[in-house]
Amino acid sequence: MLAYVIRRVLTAIPTILLLIVACFFLMHYAPGGPFTSERTLPPQVLANIEARYGLDQPLWKQLWDYLYNIVVHFDFGPSFKFKDRDVNDIIAQGFPISLTYGSLSFLVATVVGIGLGIAAAIRHNSWIDYFAVGLGIAAQALPNFIMGPILILTFTLWLGWLPGGGWNGGQWPYLIMPVIALATSYMGSIARITRSSMLEVLNSNFIRTARAKGLPTRTVIWRHAMKPTLLPVVSYLGPVFVYVLTGSVFVDIYFSTGGLGQAYVGSALSRDYAVLLGVTILYGVLTVLVNLLTDLAYAWFDPKIRY
Amino acid sequence: MNRFIRNSVAGLLSSTMITGAAFAAGTHPETGEALADDQTFTYRILDEHSSVDPQVVEDVSGAEIVRDLFEGLMNQDEDGNLVPGVATGYTVDDSKKVYTFTLRDNAKWSNGDPVTAGDFVFAWKRAVDPALSSPYAWFMELMSIENASAIIAGEKPVDDLGVKAIDDTTLEVTLSAPLPYFPQMTTHSTTFPAPQKVIAEFGDEWTKPGNIVSNGAYVLTEHLPQERSVRERNEMYWDNDNTIIDKVVALVINDENVALTRYLAGELDRTEVPAGQFPRLQEEHPDEAISFPRLCNYYYTFNVSDSGPEEFKDPKVRQALSLAVDRDIITKNIKAGGEPPAYTFVPEATAGFTVPVVEMASMSQAERDELAKELLAEAGFGADNPLTFSMVYNTSEAHKKVAVALSQMWKQKLGANVELANMEWKVFLEERGNQNFDLARGAWCGDYNEASTFLDLLQSDSGYNDGKYNNARVDELLAEAKTSDDPAPLYTEVERIIAQETPVIPIYHYAGVYMMDSDVGNWPVKNVEQNWYSKNLYKIAE
Repeated sequence: MLAYVIRRVLTAIPTILLLIVACFFLMHYAPGGPFTSERTLPPQVLANIEARYGLDQPLWKQLWDYLYNIVVHFDFGPSFKFKDRDVNDIIAQGFPISLTYGSLSFLVATVVGIGLGIAAAIRHNSWIDYFAVGLGIAAQALPNFIMGPILILTFTLWLGWLPGGGWNGGQWPYLIMPVIALATSYMGSIARITRSSMLEVLNSNFIRTARAKGLPTRTVIWRHAMKPTLLPVVSYLGPVFVYVLTGSVFVDIYFSTGGLGQAYVGSALSRDYAVLLGVTILYGVLTVLVNLLTDLAYAWFDPKIRY
Repeated sequence: MNRFIRNSVAGLLSSTMITGAAFAAGTHPETGEALADDQTFTYRILDEHSSVDPQVVEDVSGAEIVRDLFEGLMNQDEDGNLVPGVATGYTVDDSKKVYTFTLRDNAKWSNGDPVTAGDFVFAWKRAVDPALSSPYAWFMELMSIENASAIIAGEKPVDDLGVKAIDDTTLEVTLSAPLPYFPQMTTHSTTFPAPQKVIAEFGDEWTKPGNIVSNGAYVLTEHLPQERSVRERNEMYWDNDNTIIDKVVALVINDENVALTRYLAGELDRTEVPAGQFPRLQEEHPDEAISFPRLCNYYYTFNVSDSGPEEFKDPKVRQALSLAVDRDIITKNIKAGGEPPAYTFVPEATAGFTVPVVEMASMSQAERDELAKELLAEAGFGADNPLTFSMVYNTSEAHKKVAVALSQMWKQKLGANVELANMEWKVFLEERGNQNFDLARGAWCGDYNEASTFLDLLQSDSGYNDGKYNNARVDELLAEAKTSDDPAPLYTEVERIIAQETPVIPIYHYAGVYMMDSDVGNWPVKNVEQNWYSKNLYKIAE
């Protein structure tokens, strides 16, 4: 098991390096640069700026300096657009925000989604099932960029219960709408996957055996059916976890949360190279890490899997 | 320590007393309106500001914040006229190249240090210093300050810049050539003073709340990037007694419809009205929906360079396309925010600019269409030989609507086949800058309130002249205007030439279209550059 973890971590390093290199070159070959603007800079002014940020160096040298600064100084470079701040700053400020509303959304989506899915499977073809399936489909059909405006119109403009956006240190009134907006569509998918997985498990031989032994339904569900049911759910949850943690650009835009999703998309549009790379690396590391955790979780859920 | 405490307490008491005295009655000293207890002004900004460093800031919302935090030599009043800032006035010598500014002796930084001529010298040298590599270094070149260009190019040391502190309250500026609108340019953020000691102490971190020291009516007290920034009254500001707004909050809200919703829910005092929604909002909230002219234009530029289509080399074709544009449809039905239709490149609102009599402006649309058809026929295009070209704009719903309308007008009236293409902003700029287009969208907001800020775009060697329009007479007139005492007739003549040759199709001039809480007093609707100062605003009691 330990050897497996070490092996996985070691293979992650070239993966992330490859990610950086690919992203670096793609970014530099995209038309326009960080200082392309409507007010075209005079050549001398542009030359001074490029010299300051090292953009006048050959690409391989820029890449080398970039990697060197990360490894030696843990410095991800300056932001070209937000000149008062550097990438470390931007991530340190935006990531905790994304982390907060992201993990809450994950929690809500998982708990409610799995709960709905199980309830629907146990009471198959009852009103609970129809309700859960209906709700799951509705939630999935409402992506967060539709949920956002609906929530703001309802709770801010009509009811006046919640502030229409902002973060304010993550106080709960500011958290409710972003969390709901981000959680709903995942909740729908989780409910759907859990339900069909549970239905399949409930029809399998070992459950029939358990029932035949005369075990109470509660024990059958919780002790025997639960773990195999969650196996496909867990493989879905892994990427979802990375996605919600790294922030959603829609949530950031609609609720002005100040999270990292907005910085990511914004930096791609403004060719803010260092910010884009820095956030990409963070996402890459998180993806690798969560995939590893997901794989380890499999072993717990399914004793047949051994590392 | 004791003395420090005593001084601070005394300072606090006196400032409280002054504030108390001026607004104890809770009424505005001049208008007599009852003032609200909470003097907080909250407004929406589209995107996070680039910086609050006066020499580095390059975006509009950043400049608005900087204008509150720092004060330059001169300010603008509600109408855009020049009024004293840190300088009480200036004189200019006979050569019109040496300006001497007299600084007030009671101007202070927020840490209590006096604001001196040396702070301006430091700031201006900083702006051109290749080491800082400010994106606005060119503004110092535009101001014609002696040696600015050579310093930026690294050919001369920074200390050669034509700016000198004669003593603490006298600043002397030497220009390389006379520039009639030079004093107006000292209201621009690039020219604001910078606190040398603080920058030396904190380096790149000096603009963070807690570190930053500023000399304007406000200090930056809170900054949550991509969410909000807060500026509060600077008790050390020389005119603090007359400042009414205590606190200004700028909220970053990317989506304009969300911003409008939050405005309607009472979270904001000001927000922009999304295109097309003004008539409805004006009907529902007549006191709050406002529209006023801005110093910006919206146009399409022809590529008349070698890479451009052969058809556009013929002025008749260009003129025909311009004539066939029904600007009223675009301003009334698409934008619907009170934008004036444009028949000239320079907005009418520009100071000292006389709109020339352009033939097209006085014609009816039917007459224009008729003439357009004739001109196009003369140029050899018609039903059997339709004009075919492509037009590009940067990706945006609003630009798309205008582009679709234009292409339809050309299709229906002139039978032209127009291919529309939209591009992401940076790609668009790159393609337009490299003349990889037939017809491209453009827009420009004046850097200062003078016609040359627009017309210079059509100078043959201008870096902004993406269509590569080249007319020796226009170049000559614009060069002459730079030093002329009365450039207005020269600008008028340039506009006449442009109207004839049509290197660009002016579509409309911008309007500031806002939802503004009726509690906000003294918003400078007549300041076409929208250089507003929070210190001049106030909140009226409801």
